[in-house]
Amino acid sequence: MVAIVRNLPIEPVTGIGHYVLMRFIVELVGEEWAEWYRLSPAQRWRETEKLWQAYLMLGGSLDPEPDSQSPFHDPEAPRSGAAHGRPGVRIVRRSRV
Amino acid sequence: MGGQACVLYGAAEFSRDVDFAILADADNLRRLRSALRELQAEVIAVPAFTARHLCRGHAIHFRCFHPDAEGIRIDVMSRMRGVAAFEKLWKQRTTLILPGNTTVHVLSLPDLVVAKKTQRDKDWPMIRRLVEAHYFEHRRDPNRARVAFWLTELRTPELIVEVARQHERACRRLASSRRLLSFALSADLEGVNRELANEEAAERDEDRRYWSPLRKELETLRHSNRGK
Repeated sequence: MVAIVRNLPIEPVTGIGHYVLMRFIVELVGEEWAEWYRLSPAQRWRETEKLWQAYLMLGGSLDPEPDSQSPFHDPEAPRSGAAHGRPGVRIVRRSRV
Repeated sequence: MGGQACVLYGAAEFSRDVDFAILADADNLRRLRSALRELQAEVIAVPAFTARHLCRGHAIHFRCFHPDAEGIRIDVMSRMRGVAAFEKLWKQRTTLILPGNTTVHVLSLPDLVVAKKTQRDKDWPMIRRLVEAHYFEHRRDPNRARVAFWLTELRTPELIVEVARQHERACRRLASSRRLLSFALSADLEGVNRELANEEAAERDEDRRYWSPLRKELETLRHSNRGK
């Protein structure tokens, strides 16, 4: 079965039933996750795109995070530099903690 | 499979690569090679890009060098543990239209959930979020397939108990294939939690066993590559 999902909200945002459901979700998973679940796939996609833009602007690396639990993990693999050749985020000042 | 599918289904993963499940037949591999050539993609780790390695269950890792996709990592697989063959995955796929009218095909949610049952810590909270999101979206509109999916895959104890209470007959029917459902029927959250941990441990062990010979093959290939 192929499902076509378009840019629609998950549920109509009306009625007391919706309010009760939202309270239940917030209590179970917290405000942040409840808000994320409420977004449509397209809205989540856009939010992720924004995160990506910020990440790349800051020079974030496109290398996968080293994950020793992954079957593909190679501890001796060379790691490339930051995306687009820009330096990554550097700490220039920090507390003693 | 992959972080992008997780985001679309309601979980959140900041994935730094793009994973593709593909059909590893000659025609399709020819098309894939041509697409990868356009992206100026190069294999960056063992194994080499061969149908034999794909059919064996290995992933092939690429990095793109085309200016429009510079640095992007692509992983390609054609077999995953516990998941049906590609033809079935394709039939069951979800197709989405993204902003900008891009069409993408992703694994169906049940297939994605099974593919995520790995030995890695990070995949398990993801499964929980994926099924939670589906439950909250369709909670008011349950059908037989959805209820069976929730009872089989939910990993949130409170929700498992709720579904068991609301769909008791289905829960009793499935209790023989998922032990924690017996605990859910008696609203025993502690029992459900314990069984969830047992399920996870068993799947992780199974995944380690599955990958053990493949890991050895990768080690051998790395060793021989470094010797060159």
